[in-house]
Amino acid sequence: MLPIKQGQFAIALVCVVLGVMLAVQFRTTQDIRSSIPYQRVEDLSQRLSQTEKERDALINQVQELKRTSGAEAASKELERVRMGAGVIAVEGPGIIVTIDDSKRPSKPGENPNLYLIHDDDILKVINELWAAGAEAISINEQRLIASSEVRCAGPTLSVNNSRYSPPYEVRVIGEPTTLENALKMRGGVIETLQFWGIQVTIKKQDDVKVPAYKGAFRFEFAKPLKEGGN
Amino acid sequence: MVLPITGLIIGIVIGVVFPITVPLEYAKFMSVALLASLDSVFGGLRAGIEEKFDNTVFITGFFTNALLAAGLVYIGDRLGIDLYYVSLLAFGLRIFQNLAIIRRYFLKK
Repeated sequence: MLPIKQGQFAIALVCVVLGVMLAVQFRTTQDIRSSIPYQRVEDLSQRLSQTEKERDALINQVQELKRTSGAEAASKELERVRMGAGVIAVEGPGIIVTIDDSKRPSKPGENPNLYLIHDDDILKVINELWAAGAEAISINEQRLIASSEVRCAGPTLSVNNSRYSPPYEVRVIGEPTTLENALKMRGGVIETLQFWGIQVTIKKQDDVKVPAYKGAFRFEFAKPLKEGGN
Repeated sequence: MVLPITGLIIGIVIGVVFPITVPLEYAKFMSVALLASLDSVFGGLRAGIEEKFDNTVFITGFFTNALLAAGLVYIGDRLGIDLYYVSLLAFGLRIFQNLAIIRRYFLKK
């Protein structure tokens, strides 16, 4: 042992304090690590500034609408509604996702269905894309609208009552990076699909052209509600 | 040597048992104060070995060092200079020096 003759008590006392501080500091550091990841703070501040930008843009839009005449506003509104309904072709930045069946042969005793693309696989992709802010989506030249269906039809896929076989080309307009990241998310759609060897390629493009809905609207049962009704 | 180690263990036990936490914004101060007290302990041990130990010097040194370090960090925060690193460096250096001296005594014996 070291030959310490003096000050044992004082040092021991300070050591007690030191010990308490050590324990507290350990706990605090752990709290920092576990409770507030710094990235989250950055993420939130970024989102805040984005929201503020959006707000300013909306304020501008309101002022613009107030200034412009009613007819002009109505025609603009009509344009927007037509775009939303999917009856006009649109273009803009986005991604093109190509999905093809797995080339991998199924192992004996395994369900070969697992290596094929099904309607729910495509639906999952579509759903993820809408959630990531996609503004227009088409599958193999069929524009997805409010009444579109994506459905298994034997070995093919039925979209807007037209049948398509793989490969499927999904054209999406929206923020390309966001869309791509949404699909490539860890544990996300693509990772699940690629587990079975299903081939998915994503291509970012500055102008993706999404075709218009080619069918007609028929309303046999629905009719517009009178103004003011619920 | 036994007494300081027992003290340290008692302190850690107290710290673990009582749920004391430091607010996040003071965590930096705490870490510097921690380093200062670590330095004080090693300084005290060294003085004890050299038989130059002075109780008053030791205790006042402990508190003034910790407070000065925390104060430096605070002022640095206000001025936008990382004075934090100054205290880290100074205390770190001194801990190493003290440890080296203690080690020499240990080897000579």
